[in-house]
Amino acid sequence: MKENELVVYLFCLANNMKNIFKTDSQRQVILAIQDNDPIILKKIYRYNYPKIEIFILKNNGSKDQAKDIYQEAFLAVWQNVKQNKFRPQSETSINSYIYAIAKNKWLDVLRSQGYKKTIVTSRLKHFEIKAEEYNDIDDDILKDKRLEDVMHAFKNLGEACKSLLRKFYFEKKSLNLIAEELALNAASTRNKKYRCMQKLREIAFKN
Amino acid sequence: MNLPHLSQNEFEQIEKYLNGWLDDSDLHDFDQRLNNDSDFKTKVEELKITIMGIEAQTLKEQLNKFHNDIESHNIKHNVNDSKIYNFNWKRLVIAATLVIAAGSFWIISGNLNNQLYSKYFTPDPGLPTTMSSSDNYKFYEAMVDYKQGNYNTAISKWERLQNIKINNDTLNYFIGVAHLANQKEHNAISFLEKVTKNSEFALVNDAYYYLGLAYLKSNDLDKAKSNLQHSTIDNSKALLSELND
Repeated sequence: MKENELVVYLFCLANNMKNIFKTDSQRQVILAIQDNDPIILKKIYRYNYPKIEIFILKNNGSKDQAKDIYQEAFLAVWQNVKQNKFRPQSETSINSYIYAIAKNKWLDVLRSQGYKKTIVTSRLKHFEIKAEEYNDIDDDILKDKRLEDVMHAFKNLGEACKSLLRKFYFEKKSLNLIAEELALNAASTRNKKYRCMQKLREIAFKN
Repeated sequence: MNLPHLSQNEFEQIEKYLNGWLDDSDLHDFDQRLNNDSDFKTKVEELKITIMGIEAQTLKEQLNKFHNDIESHNIKHNVNDSKIYNFNWKRLVIAATLVIAAGSFWIISGNLNNQLYSKYFTPDPGLPTTMSSSDNYKFYEAMVDYKQGNYNTAISKWERLQNIKINNDTLNYFIGVAHLANQKEHNAISFLEKVTKNSEFALVNDAYYYLGLAYLKSNDLDKAKSNLQHSTIDNSKALLSELND
Protein backbone atom coordinates (compact mmCIF):
# COMPACT_ATOMS: atom_id res chain seq x y z
CA MET A 1 0.00 0.00 0.00
CA LYS A 2 1.22 3.44 -0.86
CA GLU A 3 1.87 5.90 1.90
CA ASN A 4 -0.51 8.47 0.55
CA GLU A 5 -3.35 5.94 0.60
CA LEU A 6 -2.62 5.26 4.22
CA VAL A 7 -2.82 8.96 5.00
CA VAL A 8 -6.22 9.15 3.36
CA TYR A 9 -7.50 6.14 5.29
CA LEU A 10 -6.22 7.40 8.60
CA PHE A 11 -7.93 10.69 7.87
CA CYS A 12 -11.21 8.89 7.13
CA LEU A 13 -10.90 6.79 10.27
CA ALA A 14 -10.29 9.79 12.49
CA ASN A 15 -13.20 11.56 10.91
CA ASN A 16 -15.58 8.67 11.37
CA MET A 17 -14.51 7.92 14.87
CA LYS A 18 -15.80 11.24 16.12
CA ASN A 19 -19.38 10.49 15.38
CA ILE A 20 -19.90 6.79 15.42
CA PHE A 21 -21.86 5.26 18.28
CA LYS A 22 -22.06 8.56 20.00
CA THR A 23 -25.57 8.28 21.26
CA ASP A 24 -26.27 4.64 20.49
CA SER A 25 -25.60 2.71 23.60
CA GLN A 26 -24.21 -0.74 22.90
CA ARG A 27 -27.50 -2.33 23.93
CA GLN A 28 -29.33 -0.27 21.36
CA VAL A 29 -26.81 -1.35 18.75
CA ILE A 30 -27.51 -5.00 19.53
CA LEU A 31 -31.25 -4.47 19.32
CA ALA A 32 -30.79 -2.62 16.06
CA ILE A 33 -28.72 -5.45 14.57
CA GLN A 34 -31.25 -8.03 15.66
CA ASP A 35 -33.85 -5.83 14.08
CA ASN A 36 -31.91 -5.42 10.78
CA ASP A 37 -31.95 -1.66 11.23
CA PRO A 38 -30.63 -0.39 7.87
CA ILE A 39 -29.14 2.85 9.23
CA ILE A 40 -27.14 1.21 12.01
CA LEU A 41 -26.01 -1.72 9.83
CA LYS A 42 -24.71 0.66 7.20
CA LYS A 43 -22.96 2.76 9.81
CA ILE A 44 -21.17 -0.26 11.28
CA TYR A 45 -20.31 -1.54 7.82
CA ARG A 46 -18.76 1.71 6.66
CA TYR A 47 -16.95 2.35 9.90
CA ASN A 48 -15.13 -0.96 10.01
CA TYR A 49 -14.23 -1.54 6.37
CA PRO A 50 -11.18 0.75 5.92
CA LYS A 51 -9.17 -0.89 8.68
CA ILE A 52 -9.75 -4.35 7.24
CA GLU A 53 -8.91 -3.23 3.73
CA ILE A 54 -5.61 -1.88 5.02
CA PHE A 55 -4.85 -5.19 6.72
CA ILE A 56 -5.65 -7.31 3.67
CA LEU A 57 -3.84 -5.04 1.21
CA LYS A 58 -0.75 -5.14 3.42
CA ASN A 59 -0.91 -8.91 3.46
CA ASN A 60 -0.88 -9.75 -0.21
CA GLY A 61 -4.58 -9.32 -0.84
CA SER A 62 -6.48 -7.28 -3.40
CA LYS A 63 -9.32 -4.84 -2.93
CA ASP A 64 -11.81 -7.40 -4.24
CA GLN A 65 -10.58 -9.99 -1.80
CA ALA A 66 -10.82 -7.44 1.00
CA LYS A 67 -14.43 -6.78 0.09
CA ASP A 68 -15.35 -10.49 -0.05
CA ILE A 69 -13.66 -11.38 3.21
CA TYR A 70 -15.14 -8.35 4.94
CA GLN A 71 -18.66 -9.14 3.77
CA GLU A 72 -18.35 -12.75 4.93
CA ALA A 73 -17.12 -11.55 8.30
CA PHE A 74 -19.89 -8.96 8.54
CA LEU A 75 -22.57 -11.59 7.86
CA ALA A 76 -21.03 -13.91 10.44
CA VAL A 77 -21.01 -11.18 13.08
CA TRP A 78 -24.57 -10.19 12.25
CA GLN A 79 -25.71 -13.79 12.62
CA ASN A 80 -23.85 -14.34 15.88
CA VAL A 81 -25.35 -11.19 17.39
CA LYS A 82 -28.80 -12.22 16.18
CA GLN A 83 -28.52 -15.64 17.74
CA ASN A 84 -27.09 -14.25 20.97
CA LYS A 85 -23.82 -16.09 20.43
CA PHE A 86 -22.01 -12.81 20.83
CA ARG A 87 -22.94 -10.12 23.35
CA PRO A 88 -20.57 -7.18 23.07
CA GLN A 89 -19.42 -5.96 26.48
CA SER A 90 -18.26 -2.48 25.56
CA GLU A 91 -18.91 0.13 22.92
CA THR A 92 -15.85 -0.79 20.91
CA SER A 93 -16.07 -4.54 21.25
CA ILE A 94 -18.33 -5.07 18.25
CA ASN A 95 -15.76 -3.30 16.09
CA SER A 96 -12.88 -5.38 17.38
CA TYR A 97 -15.00 -8.50 16.95
CA ILE A 98 -15.58 -7.72 13.27
CA TYR A 99 -11.89 -6.99 12.82
CA ALA A 100 -10.80 -10.22 14.53
CA ILE A 101 -13.15 -12.35 12.45
CA ALA A 102 -12.16 -10.75 9.15
CA LYS A 103 -8.49 -11.11 10.04
CA ASN A 104 -8.88 -14.77 10.94
CA LYS A 105 -10.70 -15.40 7.69
CA TRP A 106 -7.93 -13.79 5.69
CA LEU A 107 -5.26 -15.73 7.55
CA ASP A 108 -7.16 -18.91 6.72
CA VAL A 109 -7.05 -17.95 3.04
CA LEU A 110 -3.32 -17.34 3.24
CA ARG A 111 -2.73 -20.69 4.91
CA SER A 112 -4.72 -22.53 2.27
CA GLN A 113 -2.98 -24.49 -0.48
CA GLY A 114 -3.27 -22.03 -3.32
CA TYR A 115 -1.44 -19.36 -1.41
CA LYS A 116 1.31 -21.46 0.12
CA LYS A 117 2.74 -22.08 -3.31
CA THR A 118 3.11 -18.46 -4.26
CA ILE A 119 3.84 -16.56 -1.07
CA VAL A 120 6.96 -16.56 1.00
CA THR A 121 6.00 -16.15 4.62
CA SER A 122 8.71 -13.59 5.26
CA ARG A 123 6.89 -11.24 2.90
CA LEU A 124 3.93 -11.13 5.24
CA LYS A 125 5.10 -8.27 7.36
CA HIS A 126 1.97 -7.92 9.40
CA PHE A 127 1.26 -11.56 9.88
CA GLU A 128 -0.24 -12.00 13.30
CA ILE A 129 -1.54 -14.97 15.20
CA LYS A 130 -5.27 -15.52 15.47
CA ALA A 131 -7.06 -13.47 18.06
CA GLU A 132 -7.41 -16.09 20.74
CA GLU A 133 -10.31 -14.56 22.60
CA TYR A 134 -12.61 -15.20 19.66
CA ASN A 135 -11.27 -18.59 18.64
CA ASP A 136 -14.14 -20.59 20.07
CA ILE A 137 -16.78 -18.70 18.13
CA ASP A 138 -18.16 -20.18 14.98
CA ASP A 139 -17.41 -17.54 12.41
CA ASP A 140 -18.49 -19.16 9.22
CA ILE A 141 -22.19 -19.04 8.56
CA LEU A 142 -21.61 -20.35 5.08
CA LYS A 143 -20.41 -23.65 6.50
CA ASP A 144 -24.05 -24.48 7.10
CA LYS A 145 -25.01 -26.23 3.87
CA ARG A 146 -28.74 -25.89 4.42
CA LEU A 147 -28.50 -22.17 5.11
CA GLU A 148 -26.45 -21.78 1.97
CA ASP A 149 -29.13 -23.65 0.02
CA VAL A 150 -31.85 -21.35 1.32
CA MET A 151 -29.81 -18.26 0.51
CA HIS A 152 -29.18 -19.50 -2.99
CA ALA A 153 -32.82 -20.44 -3.51
CA PHE A 154 -34.00 -17.08 -2.19
CA LYS A 155 -31.59 -15.26 -4.47
CA ASN A 156 -33.23 -16.86 -7.48
CA LEU A 157 -36.83 -16.71 -6.28
CA GLY A 158 -39.27 -14.66 -8.38
CA GLU A 159 -39.31 -10.99 -7.49
CA ALA A 160 -42.94 -10.96 -6.29
CA CYS A 161 -42.31 -13.62 -3.64
CA LYS A 162 -38.88 -12.27 -2.87
CA SER A 163 -40.18 -8.81 -2.15
CA LEU A 164 -43.04 -10.05 0.05
CA LEU A 165 -40.77 -12.29 2.13
CA ARG A 166 -38.13 -9.60 2.36
CA LYS A 167 -40.62 -7.05 3.67
CA PHE A 168 -41.97 -9.45 6.27
CA TYR A 169 -38.84 -11.24 7.51
CA PHE A 170 -36.06 -8.71 6.93
CA GLU A 171 -37.75 -5.32 7.15
CA LYS A 172 -40.13 -6.70 9.79
CA LYS A 173 -43.11 -4.87 8.40
CA SER A 174 -46.53 -5.93 9.62
CA LEU A 175 -48.71 -8.05 7.38
CA ASN A 176 -51.29 -5.26 7.28
CA LEU A 177 -48.79 -2.74 6.00
CA ILE A 178 -47.51 -5.16 3.37
CA ALA A 179 -51.10 -5.85 2.31
CA GLU A 180 -51.63 -2.11 1.96
CA GLU A 181 -48.47 -1.75 -0.14
CA LEU A 182 -49.47 -4.62 -2.40
CA ALA A 183 -53.08 -3.41 -2.61
CA LEU A 184 -54.32 -6.79 -1.35
CA ASN A 185 -56.42 -7.73 1.65
CA ALA A 186 -54.78 -9.15 4.75
CA ALA A 187 -56.05 -12.70 4.25
CA SER A 188 -54.73 -13.10 0.74
CA THR A 189 -51.40 -11.55 1.70
CA ARG A 190 -51.14 -14.13 4.48
CA ASN A 191 -51.97 -16.87 2.03
CA LYS A 192 -49.48 -15.57 -0.50
CA LYS A 193 -46.76 -15.50 2.13
CA TYR A 194 -47.44 -19.16 2.93
CA ARG A 195 -47.30 -20.12 -0.75
CA CYS A 196 -44.06 -18.20 -1.27
CA MET A 197 -42.51 -19.97 1.70
CA GLN A 198 -43.61 -23.33 0.28
CA LYS A 199 -42.01 -22.47 -3.04
CA LEU A 200 -38.78 -21.38 -1.35
CA ARG A 201 -38.64 -24.55 0.77
CA GLU A 202 -39.22 -26.70 -2.28
CA ILE A 203 -36.33 -25.14 -4.19
CA ALA A 204 -33.99 -25.04 -1.20
CA PHE A 205 -34.55 -28.51 0.20
CA LYS A 206 -35.55 -30.52 -2.88
CA ASN A 207 -32.47 -32.77 -2.85
CA MET B 1 -35.10 -36.30 0.90
CA ASN B 2 -38.80 -35.61 0.67
CA LEU B 3 -39.92 -32.26 1.86
CA PRO B 4 -42.15 -32.76 4.90
CA HIS B 5 -45.66 -31.41 4.41
CA LEU B 6 -46.34 -28.21 6.29
CA SER B 7 -49.91 -26.95 6.46
CA GLN B 8 -50.58 -23.22 6.55
CA ASN B 9 -51.86 -23.56 10.08
CA GLU B 10 -48.79 -25.42 11.26
CA PHE B 11 -46.53 -22.98 9.45
CA GLU B 12 -48.12 -19.98 11.14
CA GLN B 13 -48.01 -21.66 14.54
CA ILE B 14 -44.27 -22.37 14.19
CA GLU B 15 -43.69 -18.84 12.98
CA LYS B 16 -45.45 -17.46 16.06
CA TYR B 17 -43.25 -19.67 18.21
CA LEU B 18 -40.04 -18.47 16.53
CA ASN B 19 -41.10 -14.84 16.97
CA GLY B 20 -42.02 -15.34 20.60
CA TRP B 21 -45.68 -14.54 20.03
CA LEU B 22 -47.24 -17.64 21.62
CA ASP B 23 -49.02 -17.12 24.91
CA ASP B 24 -48.10 -19.25 27.92
CA SER B 25 -50.55 -22.10 27.42
CA ASP B 26 -49.86 -22.39 23.68
CA LEU B 27 -46.15 -22.26 24.38
CA HIS B 28 -46.48 -25.08 26.87
CA ASP B 29 -48.28 -27.28 24.31
CA PHE B 30 -45.78 -26.35 21.65
CA ASP B 31 -42.78 -27.24 23.80
CA GLN B 32 -44.32 -30.59 24.66
CA ARG B 33 -44.85 -31.42 21.02
CA LEU B 34 -41.31 -30.32 20.27
CA ASN B 35 -39.98 -32.76 22.87
CA ASN B 36 -42.10 -35.72 21.82
CA ASP B 37 -42.42 -35.41 18.06
CA SER B 38 -39.11 -35.54 16.22
CA ASP B 39 -40.69 -34.90 12.81
CA PHE B 40 -42.22 -31.76 14.18
CA LYS B 41 -38.89 -30.73 15.62
CA THR B 42 -37.31 -31.14 12.19
CA LYS B 43 -39.95 -28.87 10.67
CA VAL B 44 -39.28 -26.17 13.27
CA GLU B 45 -35.54 -26.33 12.69
CA GLU B 46 -36.04 -26.20 8.95
CA LEU B 47 -38.30 -23.15 9.13
CA LYS B 48 -35.85 -21.41 11.41
CA ILE B 49 -33.08 -21.90 8.85
CA THR B 50 -35.38 -20.78 6.03
CA ILE B 51 -36.15 -17.49 7.78
CA MET B 52 -32.49 -16.95 8.65
CA GLY B 53 -31.59 -17.64 5.01
CA ILE B 54 -34.06 -15.03 3.75
CA GLU B 55 -32.62 -12.46 6.12
CA ALA B 56 -28.99 -13.39 5.39
CA GLN B 57 -29.43 -13.25 1.62
CA THR B 58 -31.27 -9.91 1.84
CA LEU B 59 -28.49 -8.46 3.97
CA LYS B 60 -25.87 -9.88 1.61
CA GLU B 61 -27.51 -8.08 -1.30
CA GLN B 62 -27.63 -4.85 0.72
CA LEU B 63 -23.94 -5.07 1.63
CA ASN B 64 -23.01 -4.46 -1.98
CA LYS B 65 -25.01 -1.24 -1.89
CA PHE B 66 -23.24 -0.20 1.31
CA HIS B 67 -19.97 -0.97 -0.40
CA ASN B 68 -20.71 1.07 -3.50
CA ASP B 69 -21.14 4.07 -1.22
CA ILE B 70 -17.64 3.56 0.16
CA GLU B 71 -16.23 3.15 -3.34
CA SER B 72 -17.73 6.39 -4.63
CA HIS B 73 -16.45 8.11 -1.49
CA ASN B 74 -12.93 6.81 -2.21
CA ILE B 75 -12.93 8.03 -5.79
CA LYS B 76 -13.11 11.56 -4.48
CA HIS B 77 -10.08 10.91 -2.30
CA ASN B 78 -8.12 9.32 -5.14
CA VAL B 79 -8.43 12.51 -7.16
CA ASN B 80 -6.67 14.28 -4.32
CA ASP B 81 -4.09 11.51 -4.04
CA SER B 82 -2.31 12.35 -7.27
CA LYS B 83 -1.73 15.86 -6.03
CA ILE B 84 -0.28 14.73 -2.74
CA TYR B 85 1.93 12.20 -4.44
CA ASN B 86 4.32 14.64 -6.08
CA PHE B 87 4.73 16.90 -3.10
CA ASN B 88 7.85 18.77 -2.16
CA TRP B 89 8.49 20.47 1.17
CA LYS B 90 8.02 23.98 -0.10
CA ARG B 91 4.60 23.20 -1.43
CA LEU B 92 3.71 21.34 1.72
CA VAL B 93 4.59 24.31 3.89
CA ILE B 94 2.54 26.65 1.73
CA ALA B 95 -0.37 24.23 1.76
CA ALA B 96 -0.16 23.77 5.51
CA THR B 97 -0.12 27.52 6.06
CA LEU B 98 -3.17 27.92 3.87
CA VAL B 99 -4.98 25.12 5.70
CA ILE B 100 -4.20 26.63 9.08
CA ALA B 101 -5.24 30.09 7.92
CA ALA B 102 -8.46 28.82 6.38
CA GLY B 103 -9.13 26.70 9.46
CA SER B 104 -8.71 29.55 11.90
CA PHE B 105 -10.90 31.78 9.79
CA TRP B 106 -13.55 29.10 9.72
CA ILE B 107 -13.43 28.58 13.46
CA ILE B 108 -13.57 32.27 14.27
CA SER B 109 -16.25 33.22 11.79
CA GLY B 110 -18.11 29.95 11.55
CA ASN B 111 -21.02 29.11 13.71
CA LEU B 112 -19.64 27.29 16.71
CA ASN B 113 -23.08 26.17 17.83
CA ASN B 114 -23.75 24.52 14.54
CA GLN B 115 -20.43 22.74 14.64
CA LEU B 116 -21.11 21.38 18.08
CA TYR B 117 -24.59 20.41 17.00
CA SER B 118 -23.34 18.35 14.10
CA LYS B 119 -20.67 16.80 16.25
CA TYR B 120 -23.19 15.60 18.82
CA PHE B 121 -26.32 14.98 16.83
CA THR B 122 -27.12 11.53 15.56
CA PRO B 123 -30.79 10.62 15.20
CA ASP B 124 -32.32 8.61 18.02
CA PRO B 125 -31.97 4.96 16.88
CA GLY B 126 -35.67 4.35 17.54
CA LEU B 127 -37.35 1.36 19.12
CA PRO B 128 -37.00 -2.22 17.89
CA THR B 129 -39.85 -2.98 15.52
CA THR B 130 -40.88 -6.43 16.61
CA MET B 131 -43.59 -7.87 14.43
CA SER B 132 -46.22 -7.08 16.97
CA SER B 133 -49.75 -8.22 16.37
CA SER B 134 -51.05 -5.84 19.00
CA ASP B 135 -52.88 -2.55 18.49
CA ASN B 136 -49.55 -0.80 18.38
CA TYR B 137 -48.70 -1.97 14.91
CA LYS B 138 -49.43 1.43 13.39
CA PHE B 139 -46.93 2.95 15.77
CA TYR B 140 -44.27 0.45 14.70
CA GLU B 141 -45.09 0.86 11.03
CA ALA B 142 -44.15 4.50 11.41
CA MET B 143 -41.05 3.43 13.33
CA VAL B 144 -39.93 1.48 10.27
CA ASP B 145 -40.31 4.65 8.17
CA TYR B 146 -38.42 6.62 10.80
CA LYS B 147 -35.52 4.17 10.77
CA GLN B 148 -35.34 4.29 7.01
CA GLY B 149 -35.02 8.05 7.21
CA ASN B 150 -38.51 8.76 5.84
CA TYR B 151 -39.15 11.30 8.56
CA ASN B 152 -42.10 13.05 6.92
CA THR B 153 -44.00 9.79 6.49
CA ALA B 154 -43.22 8.72 10.04
CA ILE B 155 -44.35 12.06 11.45
CA SER B 156 -47.62 12.06 9.55
CA LYS B 157 -48.40 8.49 10.65
CA TRP B 158 -47.62 9.27 14.27
CA GLU B 159 -49.63 12.47 14.13
CA ARG B 160 -52.66 10.49 13.01
CA LEU B 161 -52.22 8.30 16.08
CA GLN B 162 -52.32 11.37 18.29
CA ASN B 163 -56.04 11.58 17.68
CA ILE B 164 -56.42 8.26 19.46
CA LYS B 165 -53.72 8.65 22.04
CA ILE B 166 -53.79 12.22 23.26
CA ASN B 167 -50.69 13.41 25.08
CA ASN B 168 -48.87 10.12 24.84
CA ASP B 169 -45.25 10.77 25.85
CA THR B 170 -43.67 8.11 23.65
CA LEU B 171 -45.56 9.43 20.66
CA ASN B 172 -44.61 13.04 21.38
CA TYR B 173 -41.00 12.04 21.93
CA PHE B 174 -40.63 10.30 18.61
CA ILE B 175 -42.48 13.00 16.68
CA GLY B 176 -40.07 15.45 18.31
CA VAL B 177 -36.89 13.57 17.47
CA ALA B 178 -38.17 12.90 13.95
CA HIS B 179 -38.67 16.65 13.43
CA LEU B 180 -35.16 17.26 14.72
CA ALA B 181 -33.68 14.60 12.41
CA ASN B 182 -35.65 16.29 9.65
CA GLN B 183 -33.93 19.60 10.52
CA LYS B 184 -37.08 21.25 11.83
CA GLU B 185 -35.80 22.10 15.28
CA HIS B 186 -38.61 24.55 16.07
CA ASN B 187 -41.24 21.86 15.61
CA ALA B 188 -39.09 19.47 17.62
CA ILE B 189 -38.92 21.86 20.56
CA SER B 190 -42.67 22.06 21.08
CA PHE B 191 -43.03 18.28 21.22
CA LEU B 192 -39.98 17.64 23.37
CA GLU B 193 -40.98 20.40 25.81
CA LYS B 194 -44.23 18.52 26.48
CA VAL B 195 -42.38 15.28 27.08
CA THR B 196 -39.84 16.65 29.55
CA LYS B 197 -42.68 17.79 31.82
CA ASN B 198 -43.19 14.16 32.82
CA SER B 199 -40.23 13.11 34.96
CA GLU B 200 -41.54 9.53 35.05
CA PHE B 201 -41.23 9.09 31.28
CA ALA B 202 -38.79 6.29 30.44
CA LEU B 203 -36.88 8.30 27.84
CA VAL B 204 -36.86 11.58 29.75
CA ASN B 205 -33.04 11.72 29.77
CA ASP B 206 -32.91 11.34 26.01
CA ALA B 207 -35.69 13.89 25.67
CA TYR B 208 -33.72 16.50 27.64
CA TYR B 209 -30.64 15.74 25.56
CA TYR B 210 -32.42 16.16 22.23
CA LEU B 211 -34.27 19.22 23.50
CA GLY B 212 -30.90 20.70 24.46
CA LEU B 213 -29.60 19.95 20.96
CA ALA B 214 -32.69 21.51 19.38
CA TYR B 215 -32.13 24.72 21.35
CA LEU B 216 -28.45 24.66 20.42
CA LYS B 217 -29.42 24.41 16.77
CA SER B 218 -31.70 27.43 17.17
CA ASN B 219 -28.87 29.33 18.88
CA ASP B 220 -30.61 29.59 22.24
CA LEU B 221 -27.60 28.76 24.37
CA ASP B 222 -29.19 29.34 27.79
CA LYS B 223 -32.06 26.99 27.17
CA ALA B 224 -29.73 24.47 25.54
CA LYS B 225 -27.59 24.37 28.66
CA SER B 226 -30.45 24.21 31.12
CA ASN B 227 -32.00 21.24 29.33
CA LEU B 228 -28.70 19.40 28.90
CA GLN B 229 -28.15 19.79 32.64
CA HIS B 230 -31.25 17.72 33.30
CA SER B 231 -30.03 14.76 31.27
CA THR B 232 -27.83 12.09 32.82
CA ILE B 233 -26.56 10.60 29.56
CA ASP B 234 -22.82 10.87 28.87
CA ASN B 235 -23.07 12.84 25.66
CA SER B 236 -25.17 15.43 27.35
CA LYS B 237 -22.51 16.01 29.99
CA ALA B 238 -19.77 16.06 27.37
CA LEU B 239 -21.62 18.58 25.23
CA LEU B 240 -22.41 20.72 28.26
CA SER B 241 -18.77 20.87 29.27
CA GLU B 242 -17.81 21.91 25.74
CA LEU B 243 -20.44 24.64 25.84
CA ASN B 244 -19.15 25.88 29.18
CA ASP B 245 -15.53 25.99 27.99
